[in-house]
Amino acid sequence: MHIADGILAPEVWIAGFVITGIILAYTLYRTKAEEIPKISLVTSAVFVASLIHIPLGPTSVHLILAGLAGVLLAEKAYPSVFIALLLQAFLFQHGGITTIGINTVIIGVPALVSYGIFVVGVNHTRFEQRLVIFGGLAGGVAIVLAVVLTSIALLFGGEEFLGVVALLAVAHVPVIVIEAVIVGSVVGFLNKVKPEMLAGVRE
Amino acid sequence: MSHFDIDEYAYLESPFHSFDPRAKFVSVLVLMFSIVLLNDIRILTAGLLLAVALVLISRIPLLFVMGRLKWVALFVLAVVIVLPFSVSGTALFSVGALTFTKEGFLQALVISVKAFSVVLLIFPMLATMKFVSFIKALEKLHVPNRLVQMITLTYRYIFVLLNEIQRTLRSIESRGYGKRTSILGLKNLGTAIGMLLVRSYERGGRIFDAMVSRGYNGTMETLREFRINSKDWAKAASIVAVAVLLHVAAFTSSIYLGAI
Repeated sequence: MHIADGILAPEVWIAGFVITGIILAYTLYRTKAEEIPKISLVTSAVFVASLIHIPLGPTSVHLILAGLAGVLLAEKAYPSVFIALLLQAFLFQHGGITTIGINTVIIGVPALVSYGIFVVGVNHTRFEQRLVIFGGLAGGVAIVLAVVLTSIALLFGGEEFLGVVALLAVAHVPVIVIEAVIVGSVVGFLNKVKPEMLAGVRE
Repeated sequence: MSHFDIDEYAYLESPFHSFDPRAKFVSVLVLMFSIVLLNDIRILTAGLLLAVALVLISRIPLLFVMGRLKWVALFVLAVVIVLPFSVSGTALFSVGALTFTKEGFLQALVISVKAFSVVLLIFPMLATMKFVSFIKALEKLHVPNRLVQMITLTYRYIFVLLNEIQRTLRSIESRGYGKRTSILGLKNLGTAIGMLLVRSYERGGRIFDAMVSRGYNGTMETLREFRINSKDWAKAASIVAVAVLLHVAAFTSSIYLGAI
């Protein structure tokens, strides 16, 4: 889920820069100096984890883990996503430089939403496995939303992109399930080992 | 997962390697945006050739460049396959119920030329400088300091954590739980990722303490100060001039030769 340069209409990627600029400014303003290393290391870990390829039939998929970033970093998931995409675009030469703003919206906003789902779900219910269930939900919903946002961005370019959007949606169905299982399992593990890492969970 | 090397080609010698990092970053960025804003395939082709020429000038090994291009190829693939069939227009040929149109093909071509040109330009822009220089350039260009610090730390630790997760995955595999796409396989993978996160989180705290105790105050120190000389200005000005010229050429050709 990464829109390359040259696909989108200028209005869309310019809007992406504006939205990302505003959210980044706000979240960075709220970041304390001593939080920076932890945010960076978690960003690094999520980035590395997203490089793992999971075999799927004849091909393989790689993880996006936007939901995990949200669950771990709360609103700081947004700068985290931005940095991951920046490194991917520039230093690992994947491109997507003019689209970095809109790409951050596409992954970062779902990260924020899945953080919301996780926090509300976990703090307002009282059953045994709620962290795993809402963690998984956060993981899955993030991908669904990211696909929806990518589709909206592409369809601004005209309805001839419908075919591309359909292809994209179908390709991401297995990713939704895989991410849900993995994020659920990561959250379950962290809850046992280091519960303070999960953002916004009240006991 | 492949292995990355830091600053692999930052120590070669070329006009791009000696180019001041700030001037290089900004001028090539202007060229990238200029190319993305073009729509004329003739001018875009010139832009692509220019990008290739700049890569050659930068002396970055072509094999390395080609290897990295597979990523952008992957990202534009869907568009290139689908668009010629989904855009309506003059039919060139048809496969079953699908018609391959000239307009769709042209649009797909425009998109891929833009995407490849931008990615090619990243090599003379960034592969020709050390990572610390890039960070220092961002700092001098007044990118918010918190963001710069996060970029620095994140990038640095990607390499460390990549080694760590590869070790963990190998040990999982050697115990007979290879990467399998089953619920159990994914749960195991989740646990491995969880362990990586716990280690990174704790490490983050320790690194910060260690850095502060060595006098870290959030700025990057390099041994050599940046100094822009007249050569840097000349290089930057010519790149920006080309970026402007591409648009002038597109405008003139649309008047005299007509739009395609």
